[in-house]
Amino acid sequence: MIFQQLINGITLGGIYALIALGYTMVYGVLLMINFAHSEIFMAGAFFGFFLLISFSSIPFLQNNLFLQLLLAFLISMSLTGILGIIIERFAYRPLRKASRLTPLISAIGVSIFLQNLFMLVVSPQAKPFPEIFPVKNFQFGVLSVNSLQIFIITISILLMVVLNYFIKQTKLGTAIRATSSDVETAALMGINTNSVISLVFFIGAGLGGIAGILVGMYYGSIKYNMGFIYGIKAFTAAVLGGIGNIPGAMIGGYLLGVLESLGCAYISSAYKDVFAFIILILVLIIKPTGILGERVQEKC
Amino acid sequence: MRKILCFVLISLVCVSFVSCGVKKDVKEGKVVKVALVCPLTGDIAAMGQGMKNGATLAIEEANQTLKEIKFELLALDDRADPKEAVNAANQIVSDKDVCGVVGHLNSGCSIPASAVYNRHNLVMVSPASTNPKLTQQGFTNVFRTCTTDDVQGSFAADFVYKKEIKGVAIIHDKTPYGQGLAEEFQKTFQNLRGKVLCFEGISLGDRDFKALLIKIKGLNPQIIYFGGMYQEGGLISKQAKELGLNVPLVGGDGIYTGEYIKIAGKSSEGDMATMIGSPPDKLPKAKDFIEKYKTKFPDMDMQPYDPYTYDTTNIIIEAVKNIGQDKGKIIDYIKNIKYDGIIGETRFDEKGDTLNKEITCYSVKDGKWQISE
Repeated sequence: MIFQQLINGITLGGIYALIALGYTMVYGVLLMINFAHSEIFMAGAFFGFFLLISFSSIPFLQNNLFLQLLLAFLISMSLTGILGIIIERFAYRPLRKASRLTPLISAIGVSIFLQNLFMLVVSPQAKPFPEIFPVKNFQFGVLSVNSLQIFIITISILLMVVLNYFIKQTKLGTAIRATSSDVETAALMGINTNSVISLVFFIGAGLGGIAGILVGMYYGSIKYNMGFIYGIKAFTAAVLGGIGNIPGAMIGGYLLGVLESLGCAYISSAYKDVFAFIILILVLIIKPTGILGERVQEKC
Repeated sequence: MRKILCFVLISLVCVSFVSCGVKKDVKEGKVVKVALVCPLTGDIAAMGQGMKNGATLAIEEANQTLKEIKFELLALDDRADPKEAVNAANQIVSDKDVCGVVGHLNSGCSIPASAVYNRHNLVMVSPASTNPKLTQQGFTNVFRTCTTDDVQGSFAADFVYKKEIKGVAIIHDKTPYGQGLAEEFQKTFQNLRGKVLCFEGISLGDRDFKALLIKIKGLNPQIIYFGGMYQEGGLISKQAKELGLNVPLVGGDGIYTGEYIKIAGKSSEGDMATMIGSPPDKLPKAKDFIEKYKTKFPDMDMQPYDPYTYDTTNIIIEAVKNIGQDKGKIIDYIKNIKYDGIIGETRFDEKGDTLNKEITCYSVKDGKWQISE
């Protein structure tokens, strides 16, 4: 049973990790928590929902599952990415010189705005997510894994490997890292920091959007206010791993997913959501920088 | 820019004044408001919207036959949230034209709101709150037309025990309704010497129940009993079957709706629900109502509590018709009412509970709720 719970936890953790990356990347360059990120995640789920529904009526795509999924992921990722850029451009950039608290309030405002906008557009009721491929159960001894879980675990790991490569090995990745360590110096070195920040928002929001579709596929029902709890959990994951640190967000996500699953199984399911908050509080008390985080130099 | 804004604002204000004036001119005679409070948005909005349809039909019919009084429906949204329910209740008691409240849907909302109505001596008749505590508070103004969880929970326990089911896992959603129902089920099931393998709570709005279900799978239950609403119930049924836990889920009236089948999909096949009252299409008087409902709201499926809301609204209308608007007299009238409606005869006991205690068990067959023997 413990292995079964571990698989469940890893699946959940992969989703948390994908969302946590968005928090951590934005914090890395702007030192702010983008609280609108949870709504971007929700928007991703709905973009995927509408895309998949419209695909099923296009004769050319009807029988090609792979193409349907690929297109849904790519288009939804671009749409949420663009949404991320728009939010940054209009809600955060004008406030970049303001005190640290101001963009935070702006972020909460954007979050409430998006949530209510979606409530009006898609109705307050939960929507059943289309079943894209039939869920097959694979039995390994006592352990059962289904095709969706394998799919989610693979996608989340794949995306993280690609992201890690992008950040570590490419020129744009280097620019992101430079901007992340110091925006002004990076600008003096000839980096267009504004476009780097837009890129960071694009990638972070895009990953969040994919996580949204994965959640929709996994649970089969999406709602306008689903972002909140996932947002809080992913934020916890980011803090747990060390906010601003990309591998940290991944480790934090997986750890939180597994801890939550085990806590639910061995302590009580009634307190399922409480575990995330207990972890958040413990991390803040014992090691505020998180597992992989380093002390952020206070700027004078 | 500022001038334009000012102009727009002023003209808006003017328009709203004008429209107020028009409203009063159109309605001659007395306007009596009947309040309806239920979740019109949020997780279980489908049930609340259905209730609104039921009440709308009752009000429209009354207005067609009556000349001297004009009834108006004041539909408020409590979002299935106790705080919102109390807010709505305060709004209602401050409105002098309201002569009775139909609602709320959730017991968790009805119980705190009933105290507000009681302070203002306003009658409240709930068509759907089934937690026994609601009428045990000693309030003289509180009634309900649906029967209670103790009847429903023990009916379900009896029903499954007779089907040779000896081991159950119980899940509830920690609300007064869900937990209350689950506790009643547990009590009766244990008295029958059945085995309760676990009694676990979940959070409202949660989407992932796999960790809990993996644990339950290890206990090998023959059924899962769920006290709660369709949103979580549907997901539990779906996720259980995905994990290879192929046992039926049995629930109460909270999952007896088409939405449940939509959420759970094929996994819902064989799941069961108890619902208070007799099936509406078997009651001779309900036929007319079902016809009217279909023509008036063609895009909506009828929800389980719509006939109850219809009758409940009619009970209040009946009282106002015969007694007038005196709030105390309305309460006395309803206390002794013998109302023959579409759900059968409604009479209240000294606590305010209906004497009609019939329960029917349904199960999902071919993607539809059908009566189960």
